[in-house]
Amino acid sequence: MSTEPALMSLTAVAQAITQKKLSSREVTKSCLDRVALWQPRLNAFMAIEADAALKAADAADAALAKGKLAGVLHGVPLAHKDMYYDEGHVVTCGSKIRKDFVATTTATALQRLKDAGTVRLGSLQMVEFAYGPTGHNPHYGAVRNPWNVDYITGGSSSGSGSAVGARLTFAALGSDTGGSIRMPAHFCGVTGFKTTVGLISRAGAMPLSQSLDTVGPLAQTVEDCALLVGLMAGADPEDPTTSSRPVPDYMAAAKASMKGTRIGVPTAFYVDDLDPEVARVLDETIAVLRKEGAEIVKVELPDQRQLTAACQIVLATEAAAFHKRWMIERPQDYGAQVLMRLQNGLAIPAVTYLEAMRWRGPALAAYLAAVAGTDAVIAPVAPMPAVTIAESDVGNSLNAEAVIQRITKFTRPINYLGLPSLSIPAGFTGTGLPVGMQLVGRAFDEAGLVRIGAAFQRATDYHQRVPKAA
Amino acid sequence: LPVDADVAARIAHSIGPAYEGFASVAGTLPFDLEPANFRLVQTAKVSK
Repeated sequence: MSTEPALMSLTAVAQAITQKKLSSREVTKSCLDRVALWQPRLNAFMAIEADAALKAADAADAALAKGKLAGVLHGVPLAHKDMYYDEGHVVTCGSKIRKDFVATTTATALQRLKDAGTVRLGSLQMVEFAYGPTGHNPHYGAVRNPWNVDYITGGSSSGSGSAVGARLTFAALGSDTGGSIRMPAHFCGVTGFKTTVGLISRAGAMPLSQSLDTVGPLAQTVEDCALLVGLMAGADPEDPTTSSRPVPDYMAAAKASMKGTRIGVPTAFYVDDLDPEVARVLDETIAVLRKEGAEIVKVELPDQRQLTAACQIVLATEAAAFHKRWMIERPQDYGAQVLMRLQNGLAIPAVTYLEAMRWRGPALAAYLAAVAGTDAVIAPVAPMPAVTIAESDVGNSLNAEAVIQRITKFTRPINYLGLPSLSIPAGFTGTGLPVGMQLVGRAFDEAGLVRIGAAFQRATDYHQRVPKAA
Repeated sequence: LPVDADVAARIAHSIGPAYEGFASVAGTLPFDLEPANFRLVQTAKVSK
């Protein structure tokens, strides 16, 4: 066991508290010490609630002393992307418009984690209204990458990636509409789990696109993510789009070998125009998967560029619809890039939007036919490692959307298809920046991805590496 | 929409590629009075 509790995995620290090897106060204090050290460098937290967190930790310790165990996350301190409603707390959504908004309800996903015993550390930074892939925020400042503070974290769950990467929180909720969990996971060297549309309730989570939004965690390990997804998944009367199918035992899947699985490697698109270091990491990842017993097969996917285009049409239109009133009443309170992208959505005819929605069924069927017989497809999360904050600060310039499209080109098709995707740390560049790979599965087969991802992490140590404060 | 020329240019620049990318698909969508089959495909039994 590490001498610094904050460096432990979520699963390990939860067990240590439950078994009274560590108190919630010790663990919470350890996280707060790291927050004090790193926050000035990273800007990862939106709000730090140290006193309240320690008070809640003491209450958790007192309850445990009396034999009252809230759940498997009893006394574990966590912070989440600042878009999950938490009754009585300000939820900014990374925006100026909601900087004083106090939630009157609690998001179902968050409530299920609270019911398991978590302690609130505060809230985490994010891209304004979750509409951007880099981590810039004109209202609260860019969030910085713990591996090199001059580089982006990725977005929109920028604070979640940065804070988990620097071990300021054991895990964090993110959201993924076009890649917003997987990109920060990739750029910050942590594990991120974009779940199937319909697996986890979105009630009380800020909407961006009702057809594409998904809730999921970022954490150190696949096992940690499996634990959190298992707690949050399942039907919710507050969100009729959630599936009523039984929730599998993801933790059992995390202990299984990947022997006998079949993993597809795309012959095009996801392997084209890669940064040489990303291409190297992809090859090394495939080699590990093969060594661990997976059968590697080539898969010829339908044209993924069309999926990206359709995804952009759906996302832009639905986001514009959500923001219509504020766009009319408070346009001056948006950042320039987000306003520009929302305005783009107003220019899309309803017929085009409906055509893009109507194609989801045939497109998904074609994709599933192409990957038939495989348990997952392996692909890079993005064509490149993190770029600098300065060079990606494109604002609302004419080429802004092109820059955004390049960063998100490998994540958006998966959102359009509604499929689950697990981003795992898979290597580092020569300059020490993390590189992640995504395992894309079939709808509601998160367990299959957990099985492969956890086995990969037993064979590698990329997820265990911790950035050092200068 | 009554927007400035530079905004119109930005919109065209941003959404134009998506239109072009999707145009080849939009022209091939079958006539189907019950096209909402995404959920059916998505929830098809997960086979091993």
